Amino acid sequence: MPTEHYLVLSFILFLIGTAGVLLRRNALIVLMGIELQINGGNLALVAFSRQLNDQKGHVFAFLIIALAAAEAAVGLAILVGLFRSRQTVNLDEATLMKR
Amino acid sequence: MNPAQNAATYSAPAGDQILFYVLAAFVTFFAIFTITRRNPVTAVMSLVATFFGLAAIYASLSAHFLAVLQVLVYAGAIMVLFIFVVMILNREEVAPLALRPMRLLGVAAAVYLLAVFTNVVHEGVPTNLAPPVTAEAFGTVESIGDILFRQFLYPFEAISLLLLVAIVGGVVVSRSHQKEVAAQRAAAYRKQVRELADHDYPGTADATEAAAAGHGGGHH
Repeated sequence: MPTEHYLVLSFILFLIGTAGVLLRRNALIVLMGIELQINGGNLALVAFSRQLNDQKGHVFAFLIIALAAAEAAVGLAILVGLFRSRQTVNLDEATLMKR
Repeated sequence: MNPAQNAATYSAPAGDQILFYVLAAFVTFFAIFTITRRNPVTAVMSLVATFFGLAAIYASLSAHFLAVLQVLVYAGAIMVLFIFVVMILNREEVAPLALRPMRLLGVAAAVYLLAVFTNVVHEGVPTNLAPPVTAEAFGTVESIGDILFRQFLYPFEAISLLLLVAIVGGVVVSRSHQKEVAAQRAAAYRKQVRELADHDYPGTADATEAAAAGHGGGHH
């Protein structure tokens, strides 16, 4: 398949992730939206990697997957901390910094 | 690779096209399913399905190593982490979607992003080029490992450091503070006892405090 198709799919994924981040109140779903965005970016890297016949894109995608694992671990730990102090994972109720 | 030769004429084999469109529809459907579910467990499960579909797409891009990694790391490790936290924090949502002015501004930004991306793909990328014929070893563990451990050794080590920091940070952020709170309360109680003793019987505070320290932790 031509690379353009993969790029279109990658930005569809990124936009679905963005919509999840912007529209949902549940912090867990927001983190899943971020994962979708990361995967959209990864797909573009892999598609370009094949188009340019250069495997560095695969290495970048590998590093990004490790980065996403670190991000998920810290993000979920912050969620657990938020739940301990406020008894909620609703982002609209996490307003301590507003006051 | 010459656009003039290939731009108008190339179209992928029918099998490739069917496979791609089926996988793309699968991935898109489950991605939308993920962000629209009210139940977080359902959302995590459809996210796992999305990642399996993406792994298949990576394989069709002859990124075999990444396809395996996607299943092992994403659908395996990261999603298990999500499941654990969902099980700990499972709460019913009253109103999952937040369509308020600021959020609607976000939707407008997303639509703008869509327009920009569409423009980039149509203007910036040579459309419908035939993909280059890749070598047999393209995307295998051997060739990726060769690049990773020769050209990208320092980024690789930096990522391992990052993972270590993330582990420590995760433990520090999410650990229970109950013992600290109890210790603070005991210290405050001892201080209060000492002040009272000092006020009533000046000079005997040290003995009183030593007595209070013995059972200070038991009081709130």
